[in-house]
Amino acid sequence: MVDRPLDEAELVERARRGDLGAWETLVRTHQGIAFRTAYVIARNAGDAEEAAQDGFVKAYCALGRFRRGAELRPWLLRIVANEARNRRRSAARRDRLALLAAAEVRPGDAVPSPEAAVVAHESQERMLAAVEALGEEQRDAVVCRYLLGLSEEETAAALGVRRGTVKSRLSRALARLRENLEAEG
Amino acid sequence: MSAVEQRLHDLGRELAFPPEPDVAPAVLAAVRRRPFPWRRVALGVALAAVALAAALAVPQARSSILRFFHLGGATVERVETLPAADERAEARGLGRPVSLQEAKRRLDLPLALPPLHGRPRRAYVVGNSLVTFVLRAHGTTVLLSEFDSYGEQALKKLAQPTTSVEPARVDGAPGLWLEGGPHTLGWIDRDTGYRERPILVRGNVLLWLRGGLTLRLEGRLTKAQALELARSIR
Repeated sequence: MVDRPLDEAELVERARRGDLGAWETLVRTHQGIAFRTAYVIARNAGDAEEAAQDGFVKAYCALGRFRRGAELRPWLLRIVANEARNRRRSAARRDRLALLAAAEVRPGDAVPSPEAAVVAHESQERMLAAVEALGEEQRDAVVCRYLLGLSEEETAAALGVRRGTVKSRLSRALARLRENLEAEG
Repeated sequence: MSAVEQRLHDLGRELAFPPEPDVAPAVLAAVRRRPFPWRRVALGVALAAVALAAALAVPQARSSILRFFHLGGATVERVETLPAADERAEARGLGRPVSLQEAKRRLDLPLALPPLHGRPRRAYVVGNSLVTFVLRAHGTTVLLSEFDSYGEQALKKLAQPTTSVEPARVDGAPGLWLEGGPHTLGWIDRDTGYRERPILVRGNVLLWLRGGLTLRLEGRLTKAQALELARSIR
C-alpha cells in the first residue's frame, strides 16, 4: 500500500492536535508566498523574514480559532502581512522592487533576440516605475494581486481590508496605469 | 484579462525577490517552547458550555444567564467575581501608537471622531481591529475606542454586581452605560485570535453603535457628560 500525501485540511487537523511535523509541512508549503508578501509590504528582506517567521508562530498558536473548511493561505497571509506592516519602514528606507537582469530568462520562456530582450526589459522597467509611482494603497493592491498573483480574497487578507476595497483600489490603479501606457504609446 | 492586467502579470514573472529564507526550523523551535494555547481556549469554551447548560437546567439560575448584553462587536457579562486583570495607565496597553491616517487605513472603516478642536492627532491600534484615541473632555482624560460591529465578537466586558449596566441611546442608536464598580475588558484580536490578559477598568463606560462601528468611551464622566460627548463624535 502506498501512503498518499495528506491534504491541507488533514495537515491542519494534525497540527491542531500538536503534530509539529504537519505544521512544518504547511510552513514549507506556504513560506515562499508568505515571505514575498511580507517583502512587498515591509520592503526589507530581514524584516520580511522576521514577519514570516513570527506570523507562522502566531498562526500555530491561533490554530484553534481557524475555521474548519476555510482556505488556510488567506488566513496565513493575513497574519504574516500584519506582522510585516508592523515592521514597515519609512518610505526613504524601503527597498524598491527590481526586475531580474535582462539576461535572466526563465525556464520555458522563448529566447528573444538580444535587441528584443532589451526593448522588452526597458518596457517592463517603465511599467514597474509606473506601479511604484502609484499611491501606497493602490500600489500594494496591484503588487499583491498581479505581481504576486494573489487572489482577490488573499489580497484583501494581506492588506487587511475588505474585498470591495481591493476592487476599488485596483480599478483606480488600473485606470492610472492604462493612462501611462497610452501616453507611452 | 485586459492588456494592462496582462502586462502586470508578465511583470510579476520578471520581479527579482531576495532569496527566500527557510523559516521552518526557527518556527518549529519557537512553537516547541510554547504551550498549546488553543487547548486552553477550547477547554474554556467547553467549561463555559457545561456551565451554561447546567445553569439553564436549574430554573432559579436562569436569571444569571440573562445578564448577558450584546452590542455590536461587544459583549457585557455579569459575573460574581472578576478574573485576574492588569491595571492600565492611560496610554499604556492601548496598542501601538500610529497617526490618525494610519489608524483609518488599518481599521478600513470610516472612523468617528470628535469635533475638530478636540480631534486627536495620534491613535493606538491593536492589530487591524481596535483603534483607541486619548481625548480630554470635562476636565478629565477619556478613552475612545472603535471597532468593527460585525464578524466575531471582539470585545468582552465582565462586570460585578456592583456595576450597573443600563441601556442608553446615542442619536437614536442603541447603547449601554456601565457605572459603578470596576469591570474588566478583554480583547480578541481578529487576525490571530490572541486573547490579551484582561484589563481592569475603574471608570464608567458608554458603549454605542454608529454605522458599522461599535464605539466605547471610558473615563470618569457622568452618564450625561458621556452622552453629550458621544453625540459630538461623528
